[in-house]
Amino acid sequence: MYRVDITADLNDEDQTGYLWTFLDEARDPARITPGALVVAGDENAAAVCQVVDLVPAGDGTIVHLRLLPGLVDDYRALVDRALAS
Amino acid sequence: MLVGSLARVQAGRIEQRKLLRAEQPLPATTIVVRGGRDTLDKLRGHAQRTARAWSLDGQPLLGISVFAVLGIALEELLARRFASFRTIYLPTAGELRERGFELLATGQRPHYTVRLRRADDPELEELVAALGAARPNPQYGRSSTWREEG
Repeated sequence: MYRVDITADLNDEDQTGYLWTFLDEARDPARITPGALVVAGDENAAAVCQVVDLVPAGDGTIVHLRLLPGLVDDYRALVDRALAS
Repeated sequence: MLVGSLARVQAGRIEQRKLLRAEQPLPATTIVVRGGRDTLDKLRGHAQRTARAWSLDGQPLLGISVFAVLGIALEELLARRFASFRTIYLPTAGELRERGFELLATGQRPHYTVRLRRADDPELEELVAALGAARPNPQYGRSSTWREEG
């Protein structure tokens, strides 16, 4: 089970070629800034993404996300190695 | 397409009609991929998110995303775009159309939107049936880079 920073359907993609979702689906919208690394998806399927930009659309703000390679667990292993004493 | 071009669409949904790719309809035997394990509630939420952002001919566009196996091998598509999903659905374009679902060539090839009309329980049950059984993704966790820019 994942606790994501922002809920998204990881299948979604628009004309930019980026994954997208709405800013108000973030747990803490203040964290969703261009360049930020976030975990997107839902409790069953999540991925590490980089925020590309925020664009007004519909009745809210669309967040474009660059899907980064690897599983969330891979990044945890990476950080564990980097911080091992 | 530059991200900034979408910014020109200020308040209001992004109209998809003029953005649809000018491509022939997918052959009936073409496999389309959707990642995840879908439920009626999940599909309804995803369809409503699309309708919140997009319109078609001025009306909110209910739909969910899939990718067609076009110009890329299935295994490569799974590794490059679906590696975060433990399970996937692999219906054909024909199986979706037979149950009344139109496939719109949205976004960048090979992305498509499966169009829904109401996203109510009967239609979503049809969609679940059309998607077929969830299967283990043989490329789970084996990702490489998807699009270099977007």
